[in-house]
Amino acid sequence: MEVESILKILVLVIGFYMSWNIGANDVSNAMGTSVGSGALTLRRAVILAAILEFSGAFFVGSNVSETMQRGLIDTDMFLTEPMILILGMSGALMGTSLWLQIASYCGWPVSTTHAIVGAIIGFGLTIGGVEAIQWEEVTSILASWVLSPVISAIFSYIIFSVLQKKILYAINPAGAAVKLLPYLSMVVFAVFTLSLIFNGLENVNVALSFPQAVLIAISIGFLAFGATYFLVRKKAKSPLFQTATTHSPQSVVSLDKAIKHLQRVHANTVEGPHEKVSNIINEVKTLSAKLRKETSFSERTSEYKTVENMFVYLQILSACFVAFAHGANDVANAIGPVAAVLDIIKNGAISDVATVPSWLLAFGGLGIVVGLATWGWRVIETIGKKITELTPTRGFCAEFGAATTILLASKCGLPISTTHCLVGAVLGVGLARGIRALNLGMIKDIVLSWIITIPASAIMSILVFYGLKTLFSYMNVL
Amino acid sequence: MISIARLFGKSPFAPLQTHMKKVTLCIEKLTSIIDVLPKMDMEKVEKLSKELSELEHEADITKNDIRNHLPKSIFLPIDRSHFLEILSVQDSIADKAEEIGILLSMRPLEMLPEFKNDFELLYRKNAEVFWSAKKIIEEIDELLESSFGGIEAEKVKDMVEQTAFKEHEAVQIHHKLKKELFSKGNDLPSPAFYLWLSLIEQIGMLSMLSEKLANRIRMVLELK
Repeated sequence: MEVESILKILVLVIGFYMSWNIGANDVSNAMGTSVGSGALTLRRAVILAAILEFSGAFFVGSNVSETMQRGLIDTDMFLTEPMILILGMSGALMGTSLWLQIASYCGWPVSTTHAIVGAIIGFGLTIGGVEAIQWEEVTSILASWVLSPVISAIFSYIIFSVLQKKILYAINPAGAAVKLLPYLSMVVFAVFTLSLIFNGLENVNVALSFPQAVLIAISIGFLAFGATYFLVRKKAKSPLFQTATTHSPQSVVSLDKAIKHLQRVHANTVEGPHEKVSNIINEVKTLSAKLRKETSFSERTSEYKTVENMFVYLQILSACFVAFAHGANDVANAIGPVAAVLDIIKNGAISDVATVPSWLLAFGGLGIVVGLATWGWRVIETIGKKITELTPTRGFCAEFGAATTILLASKCGLPISTTHCLVGAVLGVGLARGIRALNLGMIKDIVLSWIITIPASAIMSILVFYGLKTLFSYMNVL
Repeated sequence: MISIARLFGKSPFAPLQTHMKKVTLCIEKLTSIIDVLPKMDMEKVEKLSKELSELEHEADITKNDIRNHLPKSIFLPIDRSHFLEILSVQDSIADKAEEIGILLSMRPLEMLPEFKNDFELLYRKNAEVFWSAKKIIEEIDELLESSFGGIEAEKVKDMVEQTAFKEHEAVQIHHKLKKELFSKGNDLPSPAFYLWLSLIEQIGMLSMLSEKLANRIRMVLELK
């Protein structure tokens, strides 16, 4: 009994550490762009992310957690010796956190999801052999790792292409945006609601059939349509979106003339005055450049600027969507194995069905929030400064594409990497000519991280497993 | 995580505009050489021409810098080869300006009174074509914002057409001046005649290259 309590506390602590890690590192994916584009202040971003990560974890987190618990290895193999499974799952958790620690120390781009899946498979293979692995499930997970970035890319490519055709390529982009925005927000809200309420409210004892859920989602979508319609119309009329020209273009032209005359003086003088004139020219030139930029900027791009301003709201929405989806998918990395261990300890044997207690989901969600509050906000700030390329229109497309994919995967109980989905989605926008420059070398890094992470965390987890086993056999538990 | 940030490569479009600024400096320097020509002050011309060569060299450095920092793994919204072509045409304008500057510093230019006005007009018109092409390069930020389509692309298309029209005007002056040279060139010593001929040819290249640059931008537009 005492040993079991020790184990219980141990896995809970490591599970918390893992969820802390997820909150500290990965939440920035969702919120970084919104902070970078100035749509959200850091404080607001952190609060929003905390709420949505937690609700994602709490409401939709169970599907993937169950996969982690029972989908990867055939737990029936361990019916006679549940202690081995306990040690194995604990080993997988510890091995993964060790590997993540090493990887983040060295700055390698690794995915928590891949690490934990690799660790569980690794220990399953060593202890139970090839038959212990549920190959069908594992294959579909591996396939989803390759497919999820591709699907994200396709989604975001399609959404951005629609935006291009309907808004960016329109003769009056702002007017077109006013027309299209309500539809977009309808889609976002409908998808979001559907993912939340269909099979998502079990933890609060509300079960809805699929048609019911669809009906509710569609009505929420229509509400969002109406609300956005009025908001956008009001915004479109408000002075915020009417760019004022503070400098007349004439003053720029006059300055240019002055420069020309000064240059003539410059060419005809020597030494003392020559130097002085060249200084004056430089000064006038900077002033003229500044005025020119300001004047022409508001003149030329007022429409696109208006569009970007309107999309700020949608970008915030899609960022929340990503945070929610992320919580739903990644909380399992931390608490899936914990659930397995606690289940065995509680029942004294391996139970038939995988269950994840809702308090554990809340526990994982809390870990993510704490990670976000203690460390994650820094990462959000850094990322926000680095990703300035994702303007609201681009950011919205990438985030919406990624979030939809992640939620789909979560619903299917597939643990995938949210980072890779987002990378795929950004590439999708880039393929539609939406981003200035993309570093395709990143794809190589991602593939490399798959190849390295899985065996590395598997080896770690096996080592920890044998360590624990030796330790516990000294304590005469086995 | 950080991998998202690393996904965004360094955009070469801002350096392209920086390069354009350096090319512009070359053209401005050439303009000041043309301005001092009537004074027949060879020392001054030579000095300015040297400065022009230095500016051209700076533009070259920027160009090579852009080329070197455009690794194969960078994905751009426009074709790589189109981008490099734009850069190369843009740089050739600076080369041409330098060449003209050097030609002018070869020997004092005997200005026939009949040529004076047309020669200045020829240069001004060619420079005008260049300025108009330069304005198009300045539009690149907006083009990127609109993914090279829509109203912005229409606007740039108009600008390209205007540039082409100005080039046409420049060519007409070019022909007129050449005709005058061949009819009145008898009075000129042969080195002077040859200098004049080369000058007219080379200055004419300025507008040709500028129009080519404008058309290269036209090629990447997404027009309906």
